[in-house]
Amino acid sequence: MMNQMRGSDDEKLDALFRAYRDSCPVPEASANFMPNLWAKIESRQTFTFSFRRMATGFVTAALALSLALGVYMSMPHANPNSPQTYLEALAESRPIDAPEIVGTAHLDPADR
Amino acid sequence: MLVDFELIRRAQKSDSAAFNEIVLAYRKRILGTITRLIARPEDVEDVAQEVFLRLYFSLDQLRTPEVFEPWLYRLTVNAAYDYLRKQRRRQEFRMSDLSEQQVMLADAVAGGKADQDQQYRKKVRESVNSLLGAVSEADRILLMLKEVEGLSLKELEKVYKVNENALKVRLFRARQRVLKAFGSGEKRRDPDNTGEVEL
Repeated sequence: MMNQMRGSDDEKLDALFRAYRDSCPVPEASANFMPNLWAKIESRQTFTFSFRRMATGFVTAALALSLALGVYMSMPHANPNSPQTYLEALAESRPIDAPEIVGTAHLDPADR
Repeated sequence: MLVDFELIRRAQKSDSAAFNEIVLAYRKRILGTITRLIARPEDVEDVAQEVFLRLYFSLDQLRTPEVFEPWLYRLTVNAAYDYLRKQRRRQEFRMSDLSEQQVMLADAVAGGKADQDQQYRKKVRESVNSLLGAVSEADRILLMLKEVEGLSLKELEKVYKVNENALKVRLFRARQRVLKAFGSGEKRRDPDNTGEVEL
């Protein structure tokens, strides 16, 4: 192994990587490997299932709420105090015979 | 392939027995790869379980059983990468707590217990791990897959889903960084530059 380490840095590095591969013992899986794995799978499945159920609940509630809001907004709301249209409201607030609209303009010569 | 395509298709249809068979077939290989990638034997089994856990929940996303192996490698690489990222944060804290003398003492005690062969193996592992400290976790894994696991560029292309040229560039840069660290390490060990590497 030491002889292989001679030569350029590149070759030495390659030899070191090969030595590394041989020096890493592959551990045997413990007897609990499979039971632990299945326990982890089941615990994540339970979490995913409850999360999915919660998310479905939220989506259903949001849908129901938006549907109810839609229905509510589409219903005509009769209010006897409020004017029917924008034009009517404008006419009501600024009648055409209001003095500030129909009055003559006074021009001050000093302003020129 | 260590398993046939039919077994993978069965596992994709939530067949627990088929999944079990796949795990048993690939367990040793995955444990070996993770051992070399993360270099901490006590955590290897946990990371391997994480790989198979991810496999279980993403098996339905596998389009064809033909790409199963590169795909499993990809899961292994990702799990090892996540582990190394977490580990680096912890390790920085742990190492800063130890003085150089304490580290040397711990090494001497460990060396006294192990036989010569074990000491040699330990030194090789330490040398490589220290050299790979010169590159990022992602590059460390890439170098390991290429240089230690012996994956070809074609295989790496499938694992990383990156074209061969991009991989070549990344590998070249990572290797250059490791070589630089290797060269400076050699000079420190061997100031007269005799060309010997002490492992």
